[in-house]
Amino acid sequence: METPLIVAKNLRKRYRMGEVTVHALRGVDLTLYDGELVVILGPSGSGKSTLLNIIGGMDKPSEGELYFGEKSLHTADEKELTAYRRHEVGFIFQFYNLMPNLTASENVYLAAEIARDPLDVDELLERVGLANRKEHFPSQLSGGEQQRVAIARALAKNPRMLLCDEPTGALDLATGIQILRVLRDFCAGFKKAVVIITHNAAIAQMADRVVTLRDGRIDGVQVNPQPVAPEQVVW
Amino acid sequence: MLWRKLIRDIWNNKGSYFACLVIVCIGLVAFTTFSIVTDNLSRALETFYREQNFAHGFVELVSMPESNVQRLARIEGIKDINGRLVKDVRVNTPPEEESVYLRLVSLDLSAPRVVNDARLLAGKELIPGSLAVWLDNEFFTANNLELGDSLEIIAGGRVREITIAGVAMSPEFTYYLPAEADLFPKPEQYGIAFLPLADMALVFPELEGRVNQVVFTLAEDARYEEVRDRLLPELEPYGLIRIYPRDDQLSHLMLTEEINGLKGIAKAFPFMFLSIAAVILYIMLKRLIEQQRGQIGILKALGYTNREIVLHYMSYPLAAGILGGLAGGLAGIGAAVPFTELLLLFFKVPEVPGVFPFSYFFQGLLIAVTIFLIAGYSGSRLALALNPAEAMRPPAPVLGKKFFLENLPFFHALLTMQGKMAVRNITRNPGRSAFLFLGIMLSCALVAVTWSFQDMVDKLAFYQYEEVEAYDARITLARPAASEPVVREVAGHRQVRWAEPLAEIPVSLTNRWREEDIVLIGLPRGSQLYKVLDEKGRKVPLPAEGIILSQRLAEKLAVTPGASIELASPYLRGEEKGVPVAVGGIIPQYLGMNAYMEISALSRLLGYEELATAVLVNVAGEEAIGILRDDYLESDLVAGVDSREERIRQAREMLEYFGIAVYFYVLIGVVIGFAIIYSSSFIVLSERSWELASLRVLGLTPQEVFSVITFEQWFISFFAILAGLPLGKAILHGLAAQLDTDMYSVPTTLTPDCLFAGVVITAFSIWAAQRFALRKVKELSLVEVLKTRE
Ligand SMILES: Nc1ncnc2c1ncn2[C@@H]1O[C@H](COP(=O)(O)OP(=O)(O)O)[C@@H](O)[C@H]1O
Ligand SMILES: [Mg+2]
Repeated sequence: METPLIVAKNLRKRYRMGEVTVHALRGVDLTLYDGELVVILGPSGSGKSTLLNIIGGMDKPSEGELYFGEKSLHTADEKELTAYRRHEVGFIFQFYNLMPNLTASENVYLAAEIARDPLDVDELLERVGLANRKEHFPSQLSGGEQQRVAIARALAKNPRMLLCDEPTGALDLATGIQILRVLRDFCAGFKKAVVIITHNAAIAQMADRVVTLRDGRIDGVQVNPQPVAPEQVVW
Repeated sequence: MLWRKLIRDIWNNKGSYFACLVIVCIGLVAFTTFSIVTDNLSRALETFYREQNFAHGFVELVSMPESNVQRLARIEGIKDINGRLVKDVRVNTPPEEESVYLRLVSLDLSAPRVVNDARLLAGKELIPGSLAVWLDNEFFTANNLELGDSLEIIAGGRVREITIAGVAMSPEFTYYLPAEADLFPKPEQYGIAFLPLADMALVFPELEGRVNQVVFTLAEDARYEEVRDRLLPELEPYGLIRIYPRDDQLSHLMLTEEINGLKGIAKAFPFMFLSIAAVILYIMLKRLIEQQRGQIGILKALGYTNREIVLHYMSYPLAAGILGGLAGGLAGIGAAVPFTELLLLFFKVPEVPGVFPFSYFFQGLLIAVTIFLIAGYSGSRLALALNPAEAMRPPAPVLGKKFFLENLPFFHALLTMQGKMAVRNITRNPGRSAFLFLGIMLSCALVAVTWSFQDMVDKLAFYQYEEVEAYDARITLARPAASEPVVREVAGHRQVRWAEPLAEIPVSLTNRWREEDIVLIGLPRGSQLYKVLDEKGRKVPLPAEGIILSQRLAEKLAVTPGASIELASPYLRGEEKGVPVAVGGIIPQYLGMNAYMEISALSRLLGYEELATAVLVNVAGEEAIGILRDDYLESDLVAGVDSREERIRQAREMLEYFGIAVYFYVLIGVVIGFAIIYSSSFIVLSERSWELASLRVLGLTPQEVFSVITFEQWFISFFAILAGLPLGKAILHGLAAQLDTDMYSVPTTLTPDCLFAGVVITAFSIWAAQRFALRKVKELSLVEVLKTRE
């Protein structure tokens, strides 16, 4: 077995909201490997985003251990977490989170500028099919186009893994499939880990592994020996 | 329910809101303090003037029989009139010490109502015939004297002993100077002694029954000019030197100017601060409404009327106005009492029981609330325009646009992506950028101007004492004398390296109806020790015939070089009226307002051989001045020996007071800069938190993220500071026009020092405000912010 990329042991996350304590994660164990595409499935409020945020170094677990290779992330300080996000993780969100006053290519350059070993920006834009829309500002692009810029931006840093929180949530079917295609290609082409959160069970068909979350716990893990290509996903 | 929303919203915006409150507070503290202080001062002054029967008119004469005063009393328009003798005498001090002078001022105790009466603060009544005097309290304290002490005075070559019966103060001498050309009072060396008119005869037997000054008050509806014209023919035969109204009296002039200055501050200050606070509030509200358009839509859909919604949003500025107004007003009232006391100390006006003018408190509150409601209304009008459906839709997406300068290739190439975001943000919210620009510009101008005040006072004093008056010591003669023998005598003294005569002649210069009373200074051609310099600091040769005027004097007389003016003087021999004299040149003069002439030409004009009133000397060494003083102490001809060192030292002490004021104003400049940058950072942080959090997620450090904001601020500030410098210059010009008086004129150049201070201090307050705001970026919770799309 190859060495794991991420190892999470008994992750717990509690949010205090005044009098009440919300248990977002109640002990999650998870291992991620290079080059695999994992889909995290679960109903709204089951803790998917919380888990992804913790893996991506945006948040810290209340309890449990989290390792990126040798590095322990549950003990890392803000500075180490920033460096981790900067160099190892690419995030993709439901609402793209592009800088509104930077053009498409500038948004990608923004990430490339801070990376140690960035990928070529023009080539990435070409790959996501936006070579001719480089100079457009986000407000001039459609949702799908914006999401592709966001993907190009996440990839530009050449991260070890890509974490996507409902990347197709705001898109129509056809556009969603395009996005998933790009993600699949990246995963296979660069041998990077890709984690996709969704509450759409159909997307799970294209994953190497499907993790189901329910009420802050892992409800089941399903290995897909024969992942389906995004185009063939049955909705 | 809306109230609860109000309080929560305010809590969420506590940074800007607090900045606003602080600025309002400063404005209102200034308003109430200065208003109350001016009020108190005016009232104290009025009471003091009334109780001491302060004169409306002052007459200086060569000499007049005292009995004549009775006749003058019958002149129409005169209420009370007193004749008096005023004489300067030297106090007999050990020779190694500085000369000390007393101005003896007689009080006509036999008059039905004493004009310019002194007010006894401590001690006993004056008893004629006892040679007991009242000393002015400044002199008394400065010299550590005690009641009952006696002083030896030298009057007309005779030594007399006077005893101190009491300490007193007079409205005429709340502020007085040893000589016309002096800038600062020096109470250790020069004081006022009040004594009965009868006792003057004991000191000066030859002056028995004579007076050399007349002071009078006006009847209810009399005008000074009319009374003067009636008096003139009566006084003419007795060698009229000067007649002037209360408005030209030095002590009164100083007090009224200071009070007017305070009044100006009481108006300008709060206005400036309240407008800044209003703009911050306006921006805050506008943003709040943009953010809460959804909520507004819901409220409207629920059936809240436009009026209720606007009223709700108006309650923010209302709360700010009331809160800031209350705090500022109360603090102002608190500060007013000690501040009044401080100023009264400085002015030597007796205290009046402080009233508590609540009217100012309410006025301030009213002003603050009004300004804020206007700002609030303009800000919240936006909410009206929205219809419910529209309001609930998210605002139009931000349109990306390139910054116009980016068309320049080199500029484009210079910028990182963060830089690009920053410069594009400038045009994204032009109103706010403009506010930032104006605020920083103002802050920089304020700092540069206040700094230049320091510089200016420096220039006032040191230009005069180091450049113009280059002598080591000045030997003042007891009376004008032929210069030749005196200078020869002094120059022959073993301690003296170089000696030059100086003539200081009181004259009045007339150009048609314009008339100025000044001291005309006579100097030898090519004088080494007292220099007449042009604006570049080059020596101006004294013409063989004409007179050189200081800039302001020329302006007041409305003459240019080549013009002819009339010169009259009590020293003018033979001529009843004046004699014509040509204007030979005009020079700048910061301190005092004088005219200059070649000394022998001046003497000839007056009808003398060569006349001197003082001898200026350069001496061999440190101890020389003491030795000179020693040697000339006994001389009947010498009134005193003054060292320049001493004058400079005193000037320096005085400057320290100015220094404190300067730092205070600079601090205000810093507060403005800080408040503007802090609140603007704060607004940007909450408005663009979603963008900034996205950058953090991307892996940018808090510093890198914050640099997007700071770059924008620095970019605007850079140009704002550049613009602030000429603005400072303009302000300085305006101020100089306001401040120019007979005492001094204000140079209007902002030196590189001031510009540098303006830039550095403004930059520092920007930097400091950013440090504070950076903490907010660090606290930004990524998960929280990104969870919702606003
Ligand atoms: N910052 C927070 N404060 C309080 N509760 C939170 C916070 N973030 C998430 N939660 C709660 O934690 C649970 C899991 O949330 P989340 O991970 O966002 O679920 P999902 O992404 O699966 O919809 C939910 O019940 C949510 O209300
Ligand atoms: Mg979620």
